[in-house]
Amino acid sequence: MSDILETISTAVIEGDVDEMVDLTEDALDEGLSAQEILDNGLMAGMDYVGVEFKAGNMFVPEVLRSAKAMQTAMDILKPLLVESGAPMVGKVLLATVKGDLHDIGKNLVGMMCEGAGFEVKDIGKDIEPEAFVAAVKEFEPDVVGMSALLTTTMRMMGHTIKALEEAGLRDRVKVMIGGAPVTQAFADEIGADGYASNAATAADLAKTFVSAA
Amino acid sequence: MRTNYVINSGVRFSMFSQDQLEEMFWGVLHLLEYTGLDVMHDEAREILKGAGAWVEGKRVRLPSYLVKKSLQMAPRSFTLFARDGNPKHNIKIGPGRAHFGPGPTCTHFIDPETMERRPYTKADVPLVAKMVDALPNIDFCESLGTVGDVHYDLGALYEFAGMFPNTSKPIVAWSYDKFDSAGIHEIAVAEAGGQEAFEHRPNYVHYCEPLSPLVSTFEAIDKLIFAARHRIPLIFTPCPIAGGTAPITGAGIITQGAAESWMGLTLAQALQPGLPFFMGGVYSVMDMNTMILAYGAPELPLFMAGLTELAHYAGLPLWQTGGCTDSKTFDGQAMIEGSMSVFFSALTGGDLCHDVGYTESAMTGSLFQLCAMDEAIGYARRITRGIEVTDETLAVDVIKAVGPNGHYLKQPQTRKLFKTEFWYPNLIDRQDFESWDMSGRLTMKDRTIARVRDILATHRPSAVKPETHKVIEKVLEEAEDRVKDKK
Repeated sequence: MSDILETISTAVIEGDVDEMVDLTEDALDEGLSAQEILDNGLMAGMDYVGVEFKAGNMFVPEVLRSAKAMQTAMDILKPLLVESGAPMVGKVLLATVKGDLHDIGKNLVGMMCEGAGFEVKDIGKDIEPEAFVAAVKEFEPDVVGMSALLTTTMRMMGHTIKALEEAGLRDRVKVMIGGAPVTQAFADEIGADGYASNAATAADLAKTFVSAA
Repeated sequence: MRTNYVINSGVRFSMFSQDQLEEMFWGVLHLLEYTGLDVMHDEAREILKGAGAWVEGKRVRLPSYLVKKSLQMAPRSFTLFARDGNPKHNIKIGPGRAHFGPGPTCTHFIDPETMERRPYTKADVPLVAKMVDALPNIDFCESLGTVGDVHYDLGALYEFAGMFPNTSKPIVAWSYDKFDSAGIHEIAVAEAGGQEAFEHRPNYVHYCEPLSPLVSTFEAIDKLIFAARHRIPLIFTPCPIAGGTAPITGAGIITQGAAESWMGLTLAQALQPGLPFFMGGVYSVMDMNTMILAYGAPELPLFMAGLTELAHYAGLPLWQTGGCTDSKTFDGQAMIEGSMSVFFSALTGGDLCHDVGYTESAMTGSLFQLCAMDEAIGYARRITRGIEVTDETLAVDVIKAVGPNGHYLKQPQTRKLFKTEFWYPNLIDRQDFESWDMSGRLTMKDRTIARVRDILATHRPSAVKPETHKVIEKVLEEAEDRVKDKK
């Protein structure tokens, strides 16, 4: 690995957001491709972060800082990657369902997915099924993530999936759901593609969806 | 007769100095005055505006005089009544009195027969209420679960309908919306003998939960308005998570959470001056590795102790938290976390301590945790009762009478006081090894399981009036009818 890629990887691990623009531009100036910087610099760093987080050696605020560092670099790399036609990791659309304002978990999922290299579109909280449908049409995500904290609002996930079916969009996306009262059994019941019990496994789940596709 | 003599009844405990309390108190008032909260309820904003609040869009800011006035209007001392008139089941709220009970809304339950974790059902509600009714150190009732096997909208109503006939201890009623609240109130009022009788002897407390950070949600406020208009004692309790939905510091989470409660207080007092009002909550940390709201973290009892002092400084009773654990099962972790928080809560004199019996970070309710914590509360209460110092208890005469190398077993004082000076456990084992060996080497877990099953099999709570049963049936029928077309 070249020195600059190793420096980028370390900066991601240390969450050195301020240095990321300069480092990324330096790497491009050295003639490295956007894809090389992504795969061997940014993702190498995030893979390490993922391992350390699961081992209990890194903590959520550190992981989020690393994800932010990665996103800072991605802002520069993304247009170049699109230009070169390189495949992106994928796109994730996120929201809490209608009636539910509890969004700390959904926000964490978004940040974890960004850290995993996804382009994340977070359309907020208390989102009606029709608004999910419109956002899927516009953003064309690979994965739709929904969350709810309340047993009363959980059922809106089922209604949202139904709305996607009726709009003819269900086959184009994988649906993952989460939130404190949500279970795998509930996911099966409403026809979701997957369930994750926390934000880190949600990002892993999203990765399995796009790699299987 | 003594003059100019101070008596400390029980064990003293304090965290903050008067200066610190004053600084935190004014911190909350400044937060309400300069930042305010979003109140997602049109009528509530109008009422608050009429009371003197500043309203801009959804944002409501409260001048400090208004909050102070509201604090002054709320009582520090009042009684919650047993529905059957049993004075032992009344709860007297006031300085230096700590009470305990379970919490609501766990999605899962430890099955009392199989000991397996499974979804909470309608049939579990009476079991929890019966346990509460029987356990000597559990003072009020919540259900330890969200009923999952009825229509989504009716869980809270079935919960109350299942609890009310199965314990005469006061109930803390959780609900989804004001329709639930109305149904619950109809049942409670039927038993009390009318609205006016209920107001004199309230037999339940209404529970609402705003959203952290700084949002008074529509449902929480809508329920608050219902409770205030019907003069139902009220708990308005956020669940801020330090580092997630609240500042990471103890002083910060207390300041934010208190502000969230005091917005509710101000609205409640504007609607119903003198309404009994508990501030409170579950104040704990987001575990920065697992991302859960930790119910067994030491910061929970610590934050709650600080909050209790602030509440009492401000003249309000507190909705405390303790007896809960992050453990998934009945083990050493569950006992350490539950017992430590119970003891700390008892020390603070936080007025109603809930969530006793929570396991798995509030996801699973357990009668076994509840029963073991009843023992821990008994233990804690013996300590907090303290040591009485009088001529009699100093026992100088008794010591003189026994003299060197004597014994106290036959002393009249020993006979008179041995039952009250000492606490006697129900579950804790103090046998010698041989006796323990002979009696089957039972563990704390074995003994707890046996006690839970024995109570469920034998305890008979006092009955509600026959007409109350009819009201319960009617309320449930009407509710089923209301939601029958709603998916």
